Amino acid sequence: MCNTYLPFPMKVERIITENPDRTLRTFDLSFINEEDREKFIYMPGQFCEFSILGKGESPFGIASSPTEEGILKFTVSRTGSVTREIHYLQEGDIVGIRGPLGNWYPEQLMQNEDVVIIGGGFAFTTLRSMIVYMLAHRERYGKITVIYGARTPEYFIFKEELETWDARDDITLHLTIDKPYPGWEKLVGFVPTVTGEVNLDPKALVLVCGPPVMIKYTLPVLTKIGFKDEKIFTSLERRMKCGIGKCGRCGIGSKYICIDGPVFSLAELNKIPEAF
Amino acid sequence: MYKFKIVYLPEFLEYLQEKYTLWAPAKSGTETEFKVISSFAEIDQSRLNTTLNPKEIFFPRREVLFSYDENGIKTPPPPEKPVAVWGLRTCDTRSIRMLDEVFSNAHQMPEKEMFKDPYWINKYADSLLISQACRQPLSTCFCNWFNSGPFDETGSDIFVIKGEVNYYLKGISDKGQEVLAGFAKAEQTDEKDAAEIKDLQAAAESYMSPALDISDLKSKLDKIWDDPLWEEIGAKCINCGACAYICPTCHCFDVSDEGKAGKGKRVRLWDACMFQLFTKEASGHNPRSNSLNRVRQRVMHKYNYFVDNYQKFLCTGCGRCVSVCPVNMDIREIIKKILAHEI
Repeated sequence: MCNTYLPFPMKVERIITENPDRTLRTFDLSFINEEDREKFIYMPGQFCEFSILGKGESPFGIASSPTEEGILKFTVSRTGSVTREIHYLQEGDIVGIRGPLGNWYPEQLMQNEDVVIIGGGFAFTTLRSMIVYMLAHRERYGKITVIYGARTPEYFIFKEELETWDARDDITLHLTIDKPYPGWEKLVGFVPTVTGEVNLDPKALVLVCGPPVMIKYTLPVLTKIGFKDEKIFTSLERRMKCGIGKCGRCGIGSKYICIDGPVFSLAELNKIPEAF
Repeated sequence: MYKFKIVYLPEFLEYLQEKYTLWAPAKSGTETEFKVISSFAEIDQSRLNTTLNPKEIFFPRREVLFSYDENGIKTPPPPEKPVAVWGLRTCDTRSIRMLDEVFSNAHQMPEKEMFKDPYWINKYADSLLISQACRQPLSTCFCNWFNSGPFDETGSDIFVIKGEVNYYLKGISDKGQEVLAGFAKAEQTDEKDAAEIKDLQAAAESYMSPALDISDLKSKLDKIWDDPLWEEIGAKCINCGACAYICPTCHCFDVSDEGKAGKGKRVRLWDACMFQLFTKEASGHNPRSNSLNRVRQRVMHKYNYFVDNYQKFLCTGCGRCVSVCPVNMDIREIIKKILAHEI
């Protein structure tokens, strides 16, 4: 019988510290067993339970793209007891992974459409996965526009990649920070404001992921521009434990974020109490 | 239908033990709960409802998911024998059947193998649930609100009625039939027995208060999520979680590691939406930070959200929460209040 509670082992290949105060670290993990690698079929937007035996388990969105074979990437903000232990990991250490769990961004609906991606802070992980996936299959999609906001230039994650994307002509990147910062020549302003100012075409499909307050203020801006609720998608988070719709922690209305989500359209969320 | 003399019960239970691990109500301090029974003397049938609920049998309050050490991960061995439970009440049996839908078939998606809970399934597989008619229901009982009653056989493998000198036993499932047919002391009932059963049932049903019509409860709850009524309903609640602990259908849990990095166990423990920490995130953000939200969540889950996913209420009317609540909150009064509320 399938036992989704059992983690499989992965090895920490590479650790990248993403910001100067070292609260954000990205972990590249490699599969140890070939069998686990073959079974792990996923899409951008899904999540895993990441654990260190004896220290506990927490859910994180997968930051790598299925097109990056053989590795899984997670960016972890040091916040509580499990994430503190994850930050203590060294390259070569073994961790436990369960997944892929949950649903994914509506990739099929995105085909032949213009796509707008709006992200904030370190919640950019599954959006990064989606962007890398789209760039690997660039011919499938129309125009790709990305709005990404961080507190200061130092708080963007995946900085090198952002530069590469910025240099390409098949993706438009709007990077914005909260307040003016010495040497910063790109946009300044909060994500909702920038979203209203960059002339988005309301025919596009939008993916929004970020801190709850960012999502809360960005959604009305999108609606005002003319985006339909059915074409706005966001990813929700709760303190998920089992990941398979049993433990009850991620219930919102009659949905469980871990099996019915984490990705929901705004049209769906409008029907669910407690979503925001 | 079969019968055997009440004095043959120990023999019947021994017969069950040949094939099954037997669980039955037993003393636990001053209270009663379901326990694995080795001899008849351990059984305590003095109470109608056990203090603690029978979900423990298939979903223990603390359960090891796996242990780990330098050799890797090891899951606990599956049980040697299937489980037979003596002394369930119909409300208990029905609650176990509901939990089975959750644990072996989330959201009615049987094709999703990864959503099945092997720990529940291993223990539940081939189990024999024997429920007993309630000859004198308690004042806290309200199973008749849920199309059930003291003589409801629904969900049982074997249904038992205790008469004056006999136990009457009805095989409801094929499995139950077979077990009864194989017990040497079991005889067929006659017309006199049928008359006794009929009288007992009529007497039992007369003890029940009239059922409340709750057919509008779900649609009402759909409309009052942000109604100020919740302030009135939840004001008394101290979020102690006792109701969820003794509830036979509440099934939320926590997953936690016990031990050190090199050696230990991952366990799951009963948890409840009544507790502040249930939804609190490491960042400090808590989507359900106040008590009223949590009371609303428990009521909504039982009588609204669960209906969306499983087409039934997550409550069997056992009344344990009514007897245990330290501030005398009565779920029946809450339901009445909701139904009477003008929107």
